[in-house]
Formats: sequence, structure tokens, C-alpha cells
Amino acid sequence: MKENILIIGGGAAGMEAATQLQKMGLTPIIVEKSEKLGGHIAQWDRLFPAFHPAKDVVDQMLNQVKDVKTYLNTEVTDIQKDNNGFHALLSNNETIDAKAVVLATGFDVFKAERKQEYGYGIYNNVMTSVELERFFKTGKDARINNPKKIGFVHCVGARDVKVCNTYCSKVCCTTALKQACEIREVFPDAEVYTFYMDLRMFGPGYEDLYLKTQKDFDVKCIRGRVCEVSEDMDGRLVIKAEDTLFGKPLKMTLDVLVLMCSMEKNKSIDAIQAKLGIANNSDGFMQNKDMYLGMNGTSQDGVFVAGACIAPKSLPDTIGEARSVATQVFNYINR
Amino acid sequence: MNSQIFHPFVLPFVLGMAFVLTYCLVGLVRVVLQLPKEDRKKFLRSLVTPKIAWANIRDLFGDCLFHVKIWKRNPILGYMHSTIAFGWFMIIVIGHIMLFTLKPLEGVEAEGFARTFTNFYYPIFYKFFATETPVFAFLMDFFLLVIISGILIAVVKKIHSRIVGVKRVTKFGFADNMIRFALWTIFPFRLIAEKTNIMAFWWLYSFDLLIFMCMLPFTRYMHIPTEALFILMRHAGLKAREPRKGYNLAQLYSCPSCGLCIDACPMSVNDKNSGNTSAYFMKKLRNGDSEDAKRIAETCLMCGKCVMICPVSIESCDIKFSQRAATPYYINSDHSYLENVESSSSDISTVLYFAGCMTQLTPIIMRAMKQIMEAAGEEYEFLDKDGGICCGRPMLLSGKVAEAQAMIAKNTELIKKSGAKKLVLSCPICYKVFKDEYQLEGIEIQHHTQYINELIKNGKLKVNKGNVNYVYHDPCELGRAFGVYDEPREVLENVGNLRKAKSEKELSICCGGSLGSFNLTQKERDEITNNSVADLMFNNPDEIVTACPLCLKTFARKSPVAVKDIAEVVSEQLTS
Repeated sequence: MKENILIIGGGAAGMEAATQLQKMGLTPIIVEKSEKLGGHIAQWDRLFPAFHPAKDVVDQMLNQVKDVKTYLNTEVTDIQKDNNGFHALLSNNETIDAKAVVLATGFDVFKAERKQEYGYGIYNNVMTSVELERFFKTGKDARINNPKKIGFVHCVGARDVKVCNTYCSKVCCTTALKQACEIREVFPDAEVYTFYMDLRMFGPGYEDLYLKTQKDFDVKCIRGRVCEVSEDMDGRLVIKAEDTLFGKPLKMTLDVLVLMCSMEKNKSIDAIQAKLGIANNSDGFMQNKDMYLGMNGTSQDGVFVAGACIAPKSLPDTIGEARSVATQVFNYINR
Repeated sequence: MNSQIFHPFVLPFVLGMAFVLTYCLVGLVRVVLQLPKEDRKKFLRSLVTPKIAWANIRDLFGDCLFHVKIWKRNPILGYMHSTIAFGWFMIIVIGHIMLFTLKPLEGVEAEGFARTFTNFYYPIFYKFFATETPVFAFLMDFFLLVIISGILIAVVKKIHSRIVGVKRVTKFGFADNMIRFALWTIFPFRLIAEKTNIMAFWWLYSFDLLIFMCMLPFTRYMHIPTEALFILMRHAGLKAREPRKGYNLAQLYSCPSCGLCIDACPMSVNDKNSGNTSAYFMKKLRNGDSEDAKRIAETCLMCGKCVMICPVSIESCDIKFSQRAATPYYINSDHSYLENVESSSSDISTVLYFAGCMTQLTPIIMRAMKQIMEAAGEEYEFLDKDGGICCGRPMLLSGKVAEAQAMIAKNTELIKKSGAKKLVLSCPICYKVFKDEYQLEGIEIQHHTQYINELIKNGKLKVNKGNVNYVYHDPCELGRAFGVYDEPREVLENVGNLRKAKSEKELSICCGGSLGSFNLTQKERDEITNNSVADLMFNNPDEIVTACPLCLKTFARKSPVAVKDIAEVVSEQLTS
């Protein structure tokens, strides 16, 4: 029983689904548009809540898929379905015949320029959480120059009607606290502030991280949104926010402001998704069959979904979903 | 044959006429008495001021009889309205002139009091009681046919409004439909009665008049007599005060519910929301349906398009403001901080730039303005560099006049202290309130579109002409409110190519982000934005350019192409 399963996307969800499908005796084929496997998580330095090196997890995953047929720098340009299954045309002009398709296309990071009031792309010292993580990984970023005061803004592009994203991006709260601790580790003399609406510490050990952030790392968590950012004469950032616990507006001068950008659906898959007849949900992510037993299914028989293409998701959740999608595909092939 | 000076069928008409005259007279006295004392003085004085009196006469004929404004918008509708209004007016006028030339049938003529009484209805039913010289008889028949031609169009409009170029029409209740039917049948009945002399038609004609005149005060047709009063009051310069009193009452009853504002309203993009347009607001408020009127007043975007398009020139936005001002919203505002605000500007500047809250949230505009003023070698200062005070417009929009005045007073103090000669604003929301409410004698107030255009024209600012195709969106509070249409377009033609939007200038569609509305949902706003963007994309421009930070933010979320402020576009094309 060597049935081809086409997996679009070689991030955490795609790799883990491939690993499991291979163990089940099927033939997963990964099509990845970038030059290497690993997705967003391969760019990450450490993982919350326990500061576990991301490389460790990614390397294990890569090792598991080393025998999986993988196309890099390749995209699916067309896909058809007939009685024999799916026929995909790749950008390298090869075709793949597969019995089932797993969409593991993940997310895009919210473009921080869209919240112009936060000044990303306008003021030098405003950066995104992704860029800060890169700094932790490489130790290099021209904007981070022994800062004395650093601020984090939660929910940038999430829970915000004004940018048309009303959903919670789920991982940014914990990521912000993790990064706040890390920046205090790098710059022990710096003052660190986070500006949040709610802190959604939903997973095991997350609440402990929140307590540790305040107690051990002396990060000041302020409940309130930053409303605007400007630059003073010396190029430092002046932010205005509201401390909703004190019920007072506040103004603060910072050296670096980090924007915790939300996840948005990866739109590069839209054309193929449309060909497969799969709609988006109200948050703009892919619509799965239902939230419970049909979470990996779609309106198209034989097409499955896993990971952040359905909704913003943490790494553990993504891995769980990838394993579950493998089971669903296995059952579908053996139906 | 009709050897009499009276017949009972004139009674319904006489009764109706007596009723409507009494009602209008009482109403007139009531409205005038409701005016605050100073307004009343102003109004009475205006009636004898020659200049205003001339404007009154001009508009009474132009608006009430010839419907010039409707002609301009839609000639078919213009014909329909002016034939009915002017035709009817002429029949009444000629009818009364004829009183001197009528020849009674069989020589029976009324004397004394009876003569006065017959004069009351003779012009209406003259063919039954008298004969007329051929010239007058021809004129009467001619105008009657003119009216009927207008009514035919009205019937077509009722059956299928799109034939006459109207998408949505006002939906009416029983009373409005019935009086309309009466109006439509008055003239055909009269024609048939005059030509055939069948008694039943004389009765039908007279009863139609009775129905029309008795229902008139309680339906939209009250606009016919009220509009005359409204024109006089408008020319006197009266302002909307209490929602349902005085001048406002005259405005409310002058609305003919024609529904031209329904198609114009940006909210109508969603059919469900076309019930929130001014035509319905006026109707609800007039009928005392205060809950609905309050809700619509709060929903309105205040873009002013209905005011611009209104054939009667009703200031519906002002009425909505007065409705809002009459509502005690529980806004807990604390302006004690105002005392401690210090000006950050020194007194050397000649140009003072006030960014305002919305521009603070769109720092690209501030940066571009800075570059432009530097490039032009201007001596300038930012008034609200470290955060300033709000211009006051949002408070005014919520009807909070006193709170707004507190901020206006402080800003005025800061601006005057700066010694600036010119105040430049990049936000039309600020611009409107600075123009309308601030007393800044000796300081020129300019929107940055005007300012940049002036800098380019007098050679201070050198720009390149690029190859980008721009489309310009007219912000409501700059365009319709102040007619600033040409300056931004001249600026854009200097830096690139200007393409036309589908609806431009005074017909520009609100971006949907307006501060004006309290309760439109984001989804409803998005529908408006999408519609406006589609309108701007009509000629496939490369970039959408606007001159309002709020429009900029709103469009940026929905536009398929880049959206920029005019200052940003100019700053990209500065000759270095």
C-alpha cells in the first residue's frame, strides 16, 4: 500500500504529518515554497514557556523527514481531482498524483506597517517580535544598541477591528513575556514594559512564566493599549498609552519598541485553495469541517488541513494537529 | 344652463381651503413665536432688508416653482416637479386675474358679500359658472395639460423609478400614498368636468381638493406651503437650535421626502441602511418618532452629501446635531488638565503646523510635512509636537458644545501666543472646526493641500512631475464643507498624472471611517469603504491620494493599491 499523500507546506505541521504518514506505510510528498524545511519555527531562537531551544525541536523534526520525498523552492501551481485522486502540477513542471492532500500552509506574520500609529517602518527603533527573535538568534540588530528602556506592545494586528482581525493570535502573549525575560537577560540594566489587553496564559507552565516574568525578571506589565508612538529630537520613541488599572493615560520614552505581530493566514495558497473549493472562515483562515471531530477535514473529500492555516496556534498544538491529520488521512485511504 | 352663482359641490373645496389656510396661519405664528427672541428679530428684519428680500424672491420662484436645483440634478424629475408646481401656480394666478373678465352665464352676477364669497371658488370651478375670453380659456387649458404631463411622469416614476434615473425612492405610509393619489387625480377630474360638465366629476374634483387640503398638514405635502417660510428663514441666517422647534420645525416640514438623498447617502450601499438616510430622519422627527430620529441622528456619518444634493437646501446635518445636543449622553469628560498645557512652540515661527490627533496616528504625514516645509525654507513650528489638545470637533459631533468650547478656548490661547501668521492643518476634521468655531483674527488658516499648492505656485517648493497615476479622494470636511476641490488637484498635477474617480468633488463618497457616526458597525463601515474604493478605482489609478488622515487609515485597509496622503506624495517628488 504505497499511496502518495501530497503535503503542501514544510513547516512544523507538514513535517510532523509526513513523519507520521510515513510510519503508517503511506508515501508523503512535501512541497515547500521556500528553500528549506522548518517554516517559521526554524527562525525562532527559544520556545516558551521553558526557553527550550527551537533548534532542538526543529532538528529532530528534520531528522524524521530526511527520507521523505521533498520539493524545495517549489509551489503547487494547479491541482485537479478525478476518480483516481488528485493531480498536482508543480512550479518545476513536474506532476504529482496523490490520493489525498494535506494543506499545512501555516501563517504569515501581520505586516506591522498597517498599524501606522505604532510607527513601524517610520521610526528607526520600532521592531517586530520576529526581528527581536532574530536578534536573540544572531545577536545582531542595528536598532538594539544597549537599550535602557524597552517596551512590548501586545495584540498588534490581533483583536483589532480596525485592521479587520478580530481574533486572538493565541501565542503572542506568552511570546512577549518570554522575549521580555530574554531581553532582561541580555540587558540586565534595562527597564522592560509590556502593554497588554489581557494576558492569555492558557497552557501548562504559562501562568508560571507570567509570575516569573514579574518576580524574577522585574518586567512591568501594564494593562492598556499603546495608542500612538512618536519620535523625539534624539530619535527615542515617545509612546502614549493608558494604564487601565490606574485609569490614567501615560506617556513614556523608550529606546526600543517591540510589536507583537499577530498571525494572519498565509495567502500564497489562496489560488490552490480556491481550486479545491475550500472556503475561508470569518477570521480569514481555512474553514475546516467542524471544530471537534472534523477539525482536520474540509468540505472537499480527500483534502485535509492541519496547523496554523486553520487558526493561530502554538507549536505543541500544531504538532498534535499534524499527528491527528495523519490518522485521518490513514483512515481515509483505508476507508 | 348653469344659471346660478352657487352649487353645493363647491363646499368640499371651500371647507378644505378654509381648513388649510387656518392651519398654515396658526402654524406660521407658532413657528415664529418659537424662535428665540434674537432670531425672531433677525428674521423680521431680514424681510425688509433689500438684499435679502431680493434673494427671497429669487429663491421663492427658482426653488418653489421652477425647481431649478432638481433640474440641475435630473432634468426629468425637474420637469415633473416644475410642471406640477408652476402649472398649478399659473392656474391659480390666471384664475384670479380672470375674476375681472369672467362673463357670468345668463348674466347672473353675485353682488356684495356673495360676490366676495363667489370670488373664493370661481377661479377653481369657473367653467361651471361662467365663460371666459378665448385667450384665458386657452391658457387655463394649456397649463392644465402641462400639469397632467408632469403627473404622467410621476406615475411612471411610481411604477418604475429607474426609468427616470432614481434607484431608491422613499417608502410611504397610507396617508402619504392616499394624498398622492388625490393629487394625481385632481387635474384629470377637473379636465373631464370642464370638458363634459358631468356633475359627478365636478363633485369628484371638489372632493379631491378637500382630501388633498385636509391631509396636507399631516403628510409630506406640507412642504409646499412651508418651503416658502423656510426660504425666508434660511436667508435670514437662522441656525438650527432645538430639534423640533422654530427654524428646525420649518425645515422639518419643508422636506418633501423626495428621497434624492437616499441614493446619495453612502450608507445606502446596504439596502438595510437606506432607512437611516435623511429623508427618513426628517420624516421620523417630524412625526415625533423621537427614538428613531435619535438613532438615525447617531448613525449618520455627517458627510454632508444629503445636504449638498437636497433640492430644498435643508441642513439635515445641523438638525441631527441639534438632536444630538438635546440628548444627554453620559460622557464623563474631565478637562481640568487644560490649565497645565503649555505651548511647545516659540514665538519666532511664521507658520504654525497643527497635526491634530488623527495625524499623530499617521506619522508619515507629519514627517512629509516636515520635509516639505524644510524644502520650501519655511520658518515653521509644530504646535502639538509633544501631544496637543484636540481641536474639539469630536465633542461637537457628539453635541457636547461646552466641552468642545473648553478645548477651543485653550487652543486659541496657545495659537495666539505663538505669534504665528499662518496656521496649517493636515486634517480636514480639524480644519472644519478651526474655520467654523475658532476666532483667530489675523491668522490665516490653511489646509495643507492649500498650503502646499501655494508653496508650489509661488515657487518656494520645487517638485518633479513623476509618472504615477493618482486618483484624488475629496474628504467630506474639506470638499463639501469648504469647496476645496481645485488646490489638491493642482498639486497632484504638478507631481504626477491625475485620473478621475467615478464620483468626484461634491459627489465624492464618504470613506466610511467618519467620526460622525456613533453606531455603525465595522461591517457596515467596511461596505461603505469598499463602495468608495471601487468608485475611486474606476479609472485604474496606481495610487489613491487623499488629504485626510482618517480617510487614509480607512482606505488603507481595503484598497487594492497604495493609499497615500497628498503630503507624502509631494514629499516623494521633492527636487533635492
